[in-house]
Amino acid sequence: MTLAEQVQYQSATGALSSVWLLIAIPLASAAVLLLLGRKADRWGHILGCASIGASFVLGLWYFFTLRGLGHKAVSLDLFNFIQVGRFKVDWGILYDPLSATFVLLITGVGFLIHVYAVGYMKEDPGRRRFFGYFNLFASAMLLLVLGNSFLMTFIGWEGVGLASYLLISWYQDRPAAATAGKKAFLMNRVGDAAFLVAMFLMFANLGSTDFATVFNGVGALPHGVTLAMALLLLAGACGKSGQFPLQAWLPDAMEGPTPVSALIHAATMVTAGVYLIARSNPIFDATSLGQTIVVAVGAFTLLLGCVIGCAKDDIKRVLAYSTVSQIGYMFLAVGLGGGAYALGILHLLAHGFFKAGLFLGAGSVMHGMKDQTDLRRFGGLWRYMPVTWATVGLGYLAIIGIPPLSGFFSKDPIIDAAFARGGWQGWVFGLAALLGAGLTAFYMTRLFVLTFHGKKRWTDDIEHPHESPGVMKLPMILLAVGSVAAGGLLVYGGFTTWLEPVFGTTEVPGHEPNRAMMIGISLAVVLVGVAIAWLLFRRGTALVEQPARSPIVRAARENLYGDVFNETVFELPGKLLTRAAVFFDGKGIDGIVTGLAAIVGGSSSRLRRLQTGFVRSYALTILGGALVVVAALMAVKLG
Amino acid sequence: MNPVLAADITLPHINYGAIAPILILLGMACVGVLAEAFLPRTLRYPVQVLVSLVAQVAGLATIIGLALSNYAKKPTLTAGDALAVDGPGLFLQGAVLVLGIVATLLIAERSVERGGAFVAQAAVTAGSEADAEQARRQPSQTEIFPLSLFALGGMMLFVSANDLLTMFVALEVFSLPLYLMCALARRRRLLSQEAAVKYFLLGAFSSAFFVYGIAMLYGFAGSVKFHDIAVAAISSGKSDLLMFIGLAMLAIGLLFKAAAVPFHVWTPDVYQGAPTPVTALMASCTKVAAFGGILRIFYVAFLDSRWDWRPVIGVIAVLTMVIGAILAVTQTDIKRLLAYSSIANAGYVLTGVLAMQKDGISSSLFYLVTYGFTVLAAFGLVTLVRDQDGEATHLSRWAGLGRKAPVLAGVFTFLMLSFAGIPLTSGFTGKFAVFSAALGGGQTTLVIFGVLSSVLLAFPYLRVVVLMYLQEPAADAPTVAVPGALTSAALAIGAIVTLLLGVWPSVLLDVANSAAQFVG
Amino acid sequence: MTHVLAHPLAGQVLALASPGAMGTGEKVAFWVLGIIALGCAIAMVAARNAMHSALFLVVTMFCLGIFYIIQAGPFIGMAQIIVYTGAIMMLFLFVLMLVGRDVSDSLIETLRGQRTAGILVGLGLAGLLGGGIARALGSIDAKGLEQANATHGGNVPGLAALMFTRYVFAFEVTSALLITAAVGAMILAHVQRNGEKKTQKEQSRERFAEGNHPAPKAGPGVFAHSNSVATPAILPDGTRSARSISPLVEPRELTAEDTRPKDTLTGGGNQ
Repeated sequence: MTLAEQVQYQSATGALSSVWLLIAIPLASAAVLLLLGRKADRWGHILGCASIGASFVLGLWYFFTLRGLGHKAVSLDLFNFIQVGRFKVDWGILYDPLSATFVLLITGVGFLIHVYAVGYMKEDPGRRRFFGYFNLFASAMLLLVLGNSFLMTFIGWEGVGLASYLLISWYQDRPAAATAGKKAFLMNRVGDAAFLVAMFLMFANLGSTDFATVFNGVGALPHGVTLAMALLLLAGACGKSGQFPLQAWLPDAMEGPTPVSALIHAATMVTAGVYLIARSNPIFDATSLGQTIVVAVGAFTLLLGCVIGCAKDDIKRVLAYSTVSQIGYMFLAVGLGGGAYALGILHLLAHGFFKAGLFLGAGSVMHGMKDQTDLRRFGGLWRYMPVTWATVGLGYLAIIGIPPLSGFFSKDPIIDAAFARGGWQGWVFGLAALLGAGLTAFYMTRLFVLTFHGKKRWTDDIEHPHESPGVMKLPMILLAVGSVAAGGLLVYGGFTTWLEPVFGTTEVPGHEPNRAMMIGISLAVVLVGVAIAWLLFRRGTALVEQPARSPIVRAARENLYGDVFNETVFELPGKLLTRAAVFFDGKGIDGIVTGLAAIVGGSSSRLRRLQTGFVRSYALTILGGALVVVAALMAVKLG
Repeated sequence: MNPVLAADITLPHINYGAIAPILILLGMACVGVLAEAFLPRTLRYPVQVLVSLVAQVAGLATIIGLALSNYAKKPTLTAGDALAVDGPGLFLQGAVLVLGIVATLLIAERSVERGGAFVAQAAVTAGSEADAEQARRQPSQTEIFPLSLFALGGMMLFVSANDLLTMFVALEVFSLPLYLMCALARRRRLLSQEAAVKYFLLGAFSSAFFVYGIAMLYGFAGSVKFHDIAVAAISSGKSDLLMFIGLAMLAIGLLFKAAAVPFHVWTPDVYQGAPTPVTALMASCTKVAAFGGILRIFYVAFLDSRWDWRPVIGVIAVLTMVIGAILAVTQTDIKRLLAYSSIANAGYVLTGVLAMQKDGISSSLFYLVTYGFTVLAAFGLVTLVRDQDGEATHLSRWAGLGRKAPVLAGVFTFLMLSFAGIPLTSGFTGKFAVFSAALGGGQTTLVIFGVLSSVLLAFPYLRVVVLMYLQEPAADAPTVAVPGALTSAALAIGAIVTLLLGVWPSVLLDVANSAAQFVG
Repeated sequence: MTHVLAHPLAGQVLALASPGAMGTGEKVAFWVLGIIALGCAIAMVAARNAMHSALFLVVTMFCLGIFYIIQAGPFIGMAQIIVYTGAIMMLFLFVLMLVGRDVSDSLIETLRGQRTAGILVGLGLAGLLGGGIARALGSIDAKGLEQANATHGGNVPGLAALMFTRYVFAFEVTSALLITAAVGAMILAHVQRNGEKKTQKEQSRERFAEGNHPAPKAGPGVFAHSNSVATPAILPDGTRSARSISPLVEPRELTAEDTRPKDTLTGGGNQ
């Protein structure tokens, strides 16, 4: 391990001293878009795309500059934020391989989705404001990954939370959207509070939240403190990344416009938790118990996400639970430590491409189907939307890990690494990851087949679904290319070596598994999942609504036979499990949140009754308080 | 008969320069009273506004002068050791004045409500025909200006008093004008008068505790000077039971002014009933003064016995944060909501105070200023949302304001985010400062409760934001008045400082830190 | 000037107090006056009639004044009697008499448990404080004021010395308090009169002018359906106050016809 080595950052020179422009450009654009008001309506979206595009180009330039440098971690002090005695915080930027990678992901995928949104939001009167929020999000996210201290990261963290909240509630007239926004905000606050306490711990013990200070000092801390820090950071990460037990907000967040789901709730913001854990690798490396908890959270969440994903009929929610599950893989990987950090980041990048592509595809389907999201009401769309079909298809193959698409290169090594942990943990986590791969194959096949193949099960008002305009198609195609190529390119392009300066090693801990056998097994599991789903759903599925016309009735009846068969053979155990999981998700977690709210609300109204408005009752309260205070202080003295 | 006697008394040296800020405020208040007596009615308003602002600006300039001429580094006692001119004292005096100037801008506003927010003749029976007549026609009475000067002067004296007797007199000097000012609302006069009577009765009640505490401490230490009490606490052969009883009683009097649970009961009713500019003054300046007194007493007189009393005050801090936050959740009136939020914020300051270290002082000072500016701007905005009955403070009336008045809603959202402690606002830096100071002082439990309660408090703040943006305005929704120049200035100052101290807090933290040394 | 007058008085009373032991006379005075003072204080809180309360307070304050004198503080004792009992309480009584000395407050408590809790908490606090102080001072010998009074040649000069040296600022600042109080009294009590005051004749004419109701309005605190002398007033808890109507009048329920507003000018009930 490299724990003993000192973490050092060189100060930025030359081209890299302007790295703050990455954040400043989208921020300035957001300011222009939000402050200028309607005047900017005509060209607002162009500015929004241009700013993020400019950031991307700059990001590429910085990336290649960094590649040429010997010492691959440069920091740039911007200005002194707070300095009073022990209390010292600088605004500074840390540009190293990890942040460089994230910058390219955020600006690259971000740019494509910005372009897509130009088409998707065309009819929306608030498109300029949308781009304003979108740019605000991008700059906050860049701040998050570029900050050189936990505090800077936290500021970005809150910024993306705010942007996400605003964008989830975009369709304000839908009560579901408003509620979802609130839920996201509240659940994120829980995670944020944990993050904040972690920072207080750093301050109290190390006197700073600078990455360098914290990472160099963490080795000398007592294990209890390190563990507490690690778990609090994990709790923060869980909040932002929709991991157990704070996952419930993420699927609800799909109430936002689809580009938002694609960019914020699939490709970038929700992976901030993974970034946080990867960034804090010296802290997690110092506590193996903390790492095991991260792995356990990841493994549990990935199964939870898969199982619920199988049960949902809303195309975006299936994808949302799929995101929860895939981030579970990333948590699993970064929890394993060592070279597996890089695997987690690799999967994060690959996922960024294919999940963004899948969401854009879903958006394209919705665009053509009058904003419907019900899988049961799609079917046979491949003929009408060939481009969407192809791009989603490639994304689908990528996510389930068919070689040589990117998911294969990113997910399989994680499964290997989980098994490589050895002992009972290796078996438990490895099997969980493997089972997850099978389930992923199942629900993704279900989604794909129900959407694009089989018979048309459309609602009456849809006559002729149409393909999306070019401005939407182009990003989808580019992302599909990314889904195909990213994994292989990254692996053979030496991605893990590139990240070595950050994580210190490329070695995955544990013993080397039999690579060929593992590939064989996982491919077999995936194919079984695909096959089952294909058999079950190639003819479509039952419609919940009572069909109105006779042909549909007949079709439904045909399906019904199949359903009986399915139910007895395959679905019943799955259904029970699913129901349990959904129940747990809905009643358990939501129950805790709602229950807490009820307790607070209830005690609040009860306490309110003490506020009678009568001055004599107030005086009595004060007198009672005085009695208690005097008694307590006297007791302190006498006792 | 005994000519020797006169020579017995040597008058104490009074360093008039060092206490000039207080003298300027109180002196100008007297000028204001005289102006009220001798000037014709039409001239009074401009003259009073001028006198009021000149007094405060001059006082502030003097304080800055004193701080620059090293009084902060080399503190002195003057007027027979009754007054301490030291770093925290000067900082707090400055804070009172800076916030006071902004509050004065709100008080002086006359275009939002025609004739100003105050009643023309408080003695006219509320609801009578004469009352309706004066509400329509006559401008506010201008005694409010000298009264506010007296209050501010009293607060400045309060934060620099070096013995309990002076502190008590100062407490009354700043409380009495506040009781009066509470009764002077132009609209909803019965509510306002009720608030004033409640505040007066309960204030008198708490003052009685304070005086009782002074008596106990005099019995214990044989002196009312903070320094003597601190010395007696270490060396006195007497049972220090007396000291703890005295401390408890003093704390009750002070925590009442600071609105800490369970001595907070007056706060919502009084904040709601008082004219909103006066509420703003109370929420910002009174809080600064009350905590200035608490800081001085705890850090000068009772520093060495902190291990005994800190847990008790810690429980009060926890109760204040948690109960304030819980009660804020179900409020339906914006002024009451802000009142409960101010109660919870008192808990946060108390958390910083209980660090009992140098950065406990500086972070509390910092927090008081950040909170003061934000709350001033928030109450300033409340004055703008009006219907035909005056301010529309019921939350349901605020639905859909985001569409009717995007700028107002935007600024209010920003202030709410600051209250909720989102980074890049002063609410975040302030909370960060007090919580990390408290952690440094070993008050982990307090910090945990603080963070929890701030999570809880985010909910009511957010509810207002959601209400403004995500709900349809009612058909008879209140209008948003165009703020006059004075209110605009106050709002702009409040919002800009909230942003500035969120982005660049070291400006003020440096000052607070270099001021954080009590003389005693 | 002051000390010239006060000094002989201080000298005389000084003999009353000696450090440490308590003389028999002092003891007797303490126990007799102490019981009276405390009893009157309780009676002040409990009395129904504000007048009685004020008078009880006068007695308590008088007793306190005598205590001060016995404790070798003649000036403060006399000030207590002259200023508090003589001036302030008398002013109180005048005000009460102007308001109406018959007015007695309803003492019916509408908040459940308020009174019991108040008494319990009050007793608890009193017990705590009493016990605490007794414990803290149990082993302490009283010093008396002899030395303090001797320093500046008497009680009054001693007070003056304190007031003009150590507490001079606090003393001066109380003027701010007095100014505030005076301004406050003006604000809350003074009504600007516009135009001439109406004569009794004009008032009388106005009262019987067309469209006006000549009968007096119901008194404050009375929730009345009608102006009938037979309608009892209602106390805050909803019960009827027996004292609000003459014992000669039979209280009665009013019919709708009775409570209907009467138009006195056009003959009212005959329509």
